[in-house]
Amino acid sequence: MSVLAATKRGQRSGGDDEIQRKHAVTERRLAFGLLAPSLFGVGVFLLIPVLLVFAFSFIRWNMLNSPDFVGFDNYLDAFRFEGAGHALLITTIYVLLNIPAQTVLALGMAWLMNRPGRFTAVIRVLCVLPYLATPVAMALIWQWIFNPTTGVVNVMLSWVGISGPAWLNSSFWALPVVAFANIWQYVGYNMLFFLAGLQGIPHTLYEAASLDGAGRWQQFKSITMPLLRPTLFFVLVTGAIGSFQVFDTVYVMTNGGPGRATTVMNQLIYENGFVGFRIGTASALSVILFLVILAVTLVQSSYFNKRTTYEMV
Amino acid sequence: MPTTSAEARTAVYLRKIIYVLALLLIAAVFITPYLFAVLASFKPLGEIQSGHAWNLPRHFTFDNFTTIFSQYSFGTYLLNTAVVTIILTIGQVAFSLMGAYAFARLRFPGRDALFWGYLAMLMVPNVVTMIPLYVMMSKAGLINTYWVMILPYVFGTPYAIFLMRQYLLSIPGEVIEAARLDGCSEFTILRRVIVPMARPVIITATIIAIIFGWNNFLWPLISTDSAAVQPLTVGIANFNSSFAQQWNLVLAASLVALLPMVILFAVFQKHIVNSVNLTGASR
Repeated sequence: MSVLAATKRGQRSGGDDEIQRKHAVTERRLAFGLLAPSLFGVGVFLLIPVLLVFAFSFIRWNMLNSPDFVGFDNYLDAFRFEGAGHALLITTIYVLLNIPAQTVLALGMAWLMNRPGRFTAVIRVLCVLPYLATPVAMALIWQWIFNPTTGVVNVMLSWVGISGPAWLNSSFWALPVVAFANIWQYVGYNMLFFLAGLQGIPHTLYEAASLDGAGRWQQFKSITMPLLRPTLFFVLVTGAIGSFQVFDTVYVMTNGGPGRATTVMNQLIYENGFVGFRIGTASALSVILFLVILAVTLVQSSYFNKRTTYEMV
Repeated sequence: MPTTSAEARTAVYLRKIIYVLALLLIAAVFITPYLFAVLASFKPLGEIQSGHAWNLPRHFTFDNFTTIFSQYSFGTYLLNTAVVTIILTIGQVAFSLMGAYAFARLRFPGRDALFWGYLAMLMVPNVVTMIPLYVMMSKAGLINTYWVMILPYVFGTPYAIFLMRQYLLSIPGEVIEAARLDGCSEFTILRRVIVPMARPVIITATIIAIIFGWNNFLWPLISTDSAAVQPLTVGIANFNSSFAQQWNLVLAASLVALLPMVILFAVFQKHIVNSVNLTGASR
C-alpha cells in the first residue's frame, strides 16, 4: 500500500505537489491534535497498566516494602495458597450457568416478540430496562427477594408446600441465584440483538421454504439459525467476556461466600489486591483471567469462522 | 364447513390468549422486582418484615427516604455520582468523537496501525488494568478524589472511538468536500457538519457513558474510602454491609440509585432500543 501511495505521489506535477503537500501537513497536524486526548488516555490509563500488570506479576510487593523479583512464584502461589484453581472453577460454572440460559432465553423472547403491535412493543421495552439498572442496587433488591425468612421467593414456595432453601446462604444455591440476577439484567438487552438479526432475514426465504414443504422447525434450523450466526457469535462473545469478569453482584450479594462458594476470579483479585495488598499475586491472577478470556474468545471466534466459511461454500 | 371455521377461529383466539398471557408473564418477571422495592420503600421496617411484598403500604411513610438523606450521607453520594458521571460523559463523548473523526476522515501516517492498536485495547478486560491503575493513582496522590474516578475514562474509550468511526465512515465524503470548498475550517466542519449528522451515534455513546459512570462500582470501591467523594454504588454497598436487614433503608437507597436510570431510559427508550442496530452492526 505504501509503495502504491509513493508512486502516486511521484506522478503529480510540481505546483500541484506543493499544495498537496501543504494540505497533507495541515491534515496530519489536525489529526494528531484531534487524537491527542484519546492517545493520552489510552496510553496512560490502558496501555501502561496492561504492561505493568505483567511486570507486577513477577514481583512480591505490598506497596510498602521494596519490591522483590520472584519469577513465577506469584503464579504458583496463586494456585497453591490463594485458591486460583477453585476460583477458576467457580467462574467457569458461573459462566456456564449464565451464558447458555441467557442466550436461549434471549433468542426465545426475540422469536416471541418479533411481531408488530403496540402491546408487543411495550413488553419489549420493559425487558430492556434492566440493562440500565444499577447492578449494585439490583443486587440488594434480589438479596431481599431471596432472603430465606421473609423473602418473596420462599413465601411463594411455601404456598405449594415447599420450604425454600437459604439461597444466598447456601453454598449450593448462592451461585445460581447470582447467575439468575445477571440473566435477568442482560437477557432483554441480548434479545434486542436477536430481534435485529431476525428482522434482517428476508421474508421471501421463509415463503420459499414453506412452498418447498419445510415445517416450522425445519425453517428455524435451516434458515433462521444459520443467518443468525453472526448475531449469536456477538452475543456469546460479549456475554462470555462480561461473565468472566462478574464482580458487583457477587460482592454485594455474597461477598464470595458462603465459605468460598461464590469466590469468582474478580472477587479473588479484589481480596488479594485490596484486602491483603498482595500486588504481585493479584496481578498474576489478573493475567490468568486475561489469558482465560482471550483463549475463550479465540476459541469461539475460530469455531464461528469455520462454520461461517462452511456455510458459504 | 361452518363448524370447522368456528373451530379454527377458536384455535386462533386461544393462541392469541396464550400469546398475551406469555407476554404478560414475561412483563411481570421484569417489573415485579422494582415494584416490590418501590412498595417496600414506603413502608416502615416492621411492615416489610411481617407483610407481603405485594401489599400496598398500610402506614405510608417517606421516613425511609428522609432518613437516608438526613442521617446518612446519601445526598453527598448522589452529588458525587452526578458530578463524576457528567464530567466523565462530556469528556468521553467529545474526545472520542474527535479521535473517531481523525480515524474516519483524515489521512496521516500510521493511521491504520494506530487504529489497530486501539482495537487491540478493546480486547483488554477492565479488571486487568485495576491493580496497576491503583498503584499509579496512589503514587500520584489521587486516591480518594474525584479525579481518580474521572481520569481513566474521560479521555475517550477505544469502544466509543470505534463505534463513532464506523458511523462517520458512512457519511458521504462529498458533504465534507463541499463544506471544505465553501471555505469552512476543519473545526467548523466538525462542529457544523459532522456533529449534526452523527447525532444518533453521539447519543448512543452518551448513553453508554452515562450508564457506565452511574453504575461503576469496582473502581470507585477500590480507589475511594471516604463518604465525601464516594459514589452512590459504593455508598449503598457499604450501608448494606453495616445495616444488613434494615430493608426499608436499603431498598430506599437502591431506588435512589435506580430512579435516574429509569428516567434516562424513559426519555431515550426508543433510541436505546434502536441503538442496538448501531452497536451490533459495527462489530
